[in-house]
Amino acid sequence: MLALIYFIILAVIALGAAVCVFLSRHPLYGALSLVTSMVALAGIYGLVGSPFLGVIQIMVYAGAIMMLVTFVIMVLNGARDSKTPMFDKVSLFVLPAVLLLAGVVGFAFVRAPLAFDATALRGSVSLTSETLFNMAQGGPGYFLLFEVLGLLLLSAMVAAVLLAKKRLGTVESENTEESH
Amino acid sequence: MELQPVYIQVLALAIFAIGLLTAISRRNLFFVLMGVELALNAVNLSFIGFAKTLPAEQSVAGQIVPLFSIAVAAAEACVGFAMVIMLFRKKESVDSDNYSNMKG
Repeated sequence: MLALIYFIILAVIALGAAVCVFLSRHPLYGALSLVTSMVALAGIYGLVGSPFLGVIQIMVYAGAIMMLVTFVIMVLNGARDSKTPMFDKVSLFVLPAVLLLAGVVGFAFVRAPLAFDATALRGSVSLTSETLFNMAQGGPGYFLLFEVLGLLLLSAMVAAVLLAKKRLGTVESENTEESH
Repeated sequence: MELQPVYIQVLALAIFAIGLLTAISRRNLFFVLMGVELALNAVNLSFIGFAKTLPAEQSVAGQIVPLFSIAVAAAEACVGFAMVIMLFRKKESVDSDNYSNMKG
């Protein structure tokens, strides 16, 4: 009963913040609403029984990714062209399509026989890390995926640096550097 | 009245729908990327909700996969916002309608 009350409170916060993301005009308000939604979702992860993922959610999503988002919004000063309308005519057709999709999938969810398994394990830090770094011969082998993830993040970082830097060696960039 | 797995799935579906709606119908490039982040979050929530309906060993797998999904979302946000910076330098605008050069 108590779990249900906590879930309803956190769900209302997460959903309300998500609606705020959809309706807010300035990108910075949207980003702050997104942080609120992510923190509420981290609370739900802890409530359901995955505290490790809740902490990862706060550290990586609400901490690192949203810091990057707010940083880029502030660097580019996203409020500069706030005169463009939020929605256009296409939005009128997108709204019923997405609502129809949600209705169909929600109908399937409500009809599906789902129940919590009493033997489901609590995803504590020790259990999750033991499974993640289980290097036994017949083990799940998640540590290989973990290594690949390191390569992916490294290549994403290199790609971001290459995309976002000013072109070096071209005429325009040398001119702008002189004007500084 | 107890907490049912269906409630978690319905919440995840609602957040996914709002994220999809934000990504498709908003015109600001920042909101498009934030909608994608919202949809990825909803998928993680759905993963954890389903993991709790599985027996002992399999439920751990369902709680490790979102970890990888979060890391891929971090890489996506990193490259996506670098592209936004690049596009913004070119046209000084975040309206996605200004980037329709390849429209047929």
